[in-house]
Amino acid sequence: MNLKLNLTRVCSARLSATVLGALSALAVASIHAAAVAAVPANVALAAQQELTRHADIEVESLDPAHIESVMANQIGVDLFEGLTRIDAAGNVVPGVAQSWTRPAADTWVFKLRRDARWSDGQPLTAADFVYAWQRLVDPKTGSKYTILVECVKNAKAILAGKAAPAELGVRAVDPYTLEVKTETPAAFFAEVVSKADMAPVNRAAIAKYGDAWTRPGNLVGNGAYVLADWQPNNHIVLAKNDKYWDAHDVAITKVTYLPIESDETSLRMYQGGQFDFTYRIPSGLFTPLSKQFGAELKVSPVLGTYYYSINNEDPAFKDKRVRQALSMVIDRDLLTSRLTQAGEKPIYGLTVQGTKGADLYLPDWASWPMAKRVEYARNLLKEAGYSDAKPLTFTFTYNTNDLHKKVALFVTSEWRTKLGVNAKLENIEYKVMLKQRHDGKLQMSRDGWYVDYNDATSFLDLIRCNNVQNDQRYCNPKVDALIDEGNRQLDDAKRAALLTEAQALAMADTPMIPLFQYSGDRLVKSYVGGYALTNYVDQRATQDMYIIRH
Amino acid sequence: MLAYTLRRALWAIPTVLAVITVCYLLLHLTPGGPFDTEKQLSAAVLQNLNAKYHLDEPLWRQYLRYLAALLHGDLGPSFRYNDWTVNDLIRKALPVSLGIGGISVPIACVLGIGFGTLAAVRRGSLIDHGVMVLGNVGNVVPPFVIGPVLVWVFAILLRGAHGHGWLPAGGWGDGAWQYRVLPIALLTVINMATIARVMRGSMIEVLGGNFIRTARAKGLPAHTIVLRHALKPALMPVVSLLGSVCISSITAAIVTESVFALPGLGQLIVNGAINRDYTLVLGLVVLTTVVAVLFNLLVDLAYAWLDPRIRY
Repeated sequence: MNLKLNLTRVCSARLSATVLGALSALAVASIHAAAVAAVPANVALAAQQELTRHADIEVESLDPAHIESVMANQIGVDLFEGLTRIDAAGNVVPGVAQSWTRPAADTWVFKLRRDARWSDGQPLTAADFVYAWQRLVDPKTGSKYTILVECVKNAKAILAGKAAPAELGVRAVDPYTLEVKTETPAAFFAEVVSKADMAPVNRAAIAKYGDAWTRPGNLVGNGAYVLADWQPNNHIVLAKNDKYWDAHDVAITKVTYLPIESDETSLRMYQGGQFDFTYRIPSGLFTPLSKQFGAELKVSPVLGTYYYSINNEDPAFKDKRVRQALSMVIDRDLLTSRLTQAGEKPIYGLTVQGTKGADLYLPDWASWPMAKRVEYARNLLKEAGYSDAKPLTFTFTYNTNDLHKKVALFVTSEWRTKLGVNAKLENIEYKVMLKQRHDGKLQMSRDGWYVDYNDATSFLDLIRCNNVQNDQRYCNPKVDALIDEGNRQLDDAKRAALLTEAQALAMADTPMIPLFQYSGDRLVKSYVGGYALTNYVDQRATQDMYIIRH
Repeated sequence: MLAYTLRRALWAIPTVLAVITVCYLLLHLTPGGPFDTEKQLSAAVLQNLNAKYHLDEPLWRQYLRYLAALLHGDLGPSFRYNDWTVNDLIRKALPVSLGIGGISVPIACVLGIGFGTLAAVRRGSLIDHGVMVLGNVGNVVPPFVIGPVLVWVFAILLRGAHGHGWLPAGGWGDGAWQYRVLPIALLTVINMATIARVMRGSMIEVLGGNFIRTARAKGLPAHTIVLRHALKPALMPVVSLLGSVCISSITAAIVTESVFALPGLGQLIVNGAINRDYTLVLGLVVLTTVVAVLFNLLVDLAYAWLDPRIRY
């Protein structure tokens, strides 16, 4: 029955695409087939569809305007549905918007479905999105995570108090048509609006309950679930929202998120039968756990990188030959296969496997034998003025953590044994490290990055001139020009070519040292369906899951 | 006695104020603020946040603002947990910590005093050695080892008919007794070990006293000597210990709450410090200080009850 419904919806979406394409000569139609919790025909569902998920933190908020962490976004997309959403396989599919077009490089038009409802039964219209986004950028709201909404025209000016929230580049053309102007062309915008931060919020509930509007009983959402209970540091319980437009395709009727910060405790709870799937596994236990749990241990690359941030303005690293030499001699294959051993993949550039909008970067030297790389790197250092008599000396900083310590010992040992470089290790508290790095006080430090949306530009922010995320203090106007030119393209292939070129140009300067792509390692009970390994963006809505009879 | 209690209660006010002031300054002097994150905030966003939380004001004005709110019982908004005030968070966490610490401390007291007394009376016997081994194990083996062992046995190894462990490995659920058993057991083992060791040493010393020798010479039975004459003075060091035991078991059972992922005050302390959640840390400091002052007062009053020579 589910399969039949899916096919009907797919056909319907395709029909919509045809009609819209015919109506708008200028529009670049981008219609996707609707996806649902597709249960394979040969799978029998369990009578009780209840799921218990691990949350790695107590979330900072369930208010879309204050959601900033990956986990809060995860729970947020269960409660609130944006214009689009990410399906089980990681594709962008229609959410509240049935279809969307991009009539100009900086303009998006979303057609909203007429059966979308709030959990109190009231209809959901384009005005709700306008209200939510204006609230998000209003300085009085004090939102921390504004990277996504800053794509919208005038958002930055409003956040800076230089324009009124009403001037945000979003308008309700009619109750079911939303037009968005972006600050700069944003090919990835359809994915941006799948995040919980960009979801609509219920004006009436906020007016009635104020700051307490996200409490159980007060919260009015539009997602597949409603908030049944929330005890901080204890649990968040969601129940199926019968008013959700696609409720008939939602299998799980109740989902409980248990916030457990200790990975060891969450593992024991999984072993004891308290979790259906964990968010992480303890560091260093990948091999024994894969032996113990077999197929229950799911390993999938995620859009996150582990790299060493270099302060390009530091006298020790101003010369790009020094930076390149340090990057060349690190045996990333050895690092990931013998040391980290948790499914990580070696990387040499900014982007990682699964990133949209640019090809992976692989330098020529990556395929050289290590001896040749070492010889080349030694020459680079020699040209830069370093030798055994005058070795390169600097301080490498990492925050207190077993993995960071292990990696730092390995990498600095590579530098010492292969290049004679003297890297002094400094171990400091996390927030202290962040502050010092942001202030440019660290020479080189451990760093990591998870994308805000699946597009190469989210990685490229790390090396753009004057970008707030650019702790590397690297600036190459040619790279920025290529990125800007790429963003102006409506043709995806041309855009990807330009962004790939921009990445290659930047990485030729080695502004940082990429080491590996993170892996999402999770224990998932064999009876949990709908967990796909291709969901690189790692936004896994409960509505796409189901419990198999067991 | 009443005047003394009132005087001590009044002294609590400058004590709490001094602790808040020092803590307030230390928090603001610590490098890294509540809004330093891996993804750096733009200058505009940071300015909006500073304005929202009044961090753009001079420190002295922020401090006075905090004190004024505190006088009204308002511990302020949490910097990290946007949807909850510090009062909300403490209100939710305190019953959990009380539910664990409040039960384990009395049990540990009864068992610790009992075993300690027994070991002292039967000095050199098998019981004495057993108590000493238990005391040393409880003190030497850290709770983050004992806790997981308890979980491994009772939540993973021993399984019920439905396939789940006998007891939950962690979490609090609805606060049912099953979730409390292992944390209470862990805290009890730790506290009991300390109390039993101190009690044993104290009792041995008291039993060697002249007044006990006199009691023995009068032909009093052993249990009368121990219970009526030796127990009270022997309890003095244990009572001294109880103040810190109560505080660490109720307001700062950080390791126990972490091992079992309990939504208590210990979790809030750790997260508050890591996140530089100024108001949350200060709120917990206020609570801990008040509890400390209260327990120290109770300990002092208990001294007077235990030792007739002490009068206030």
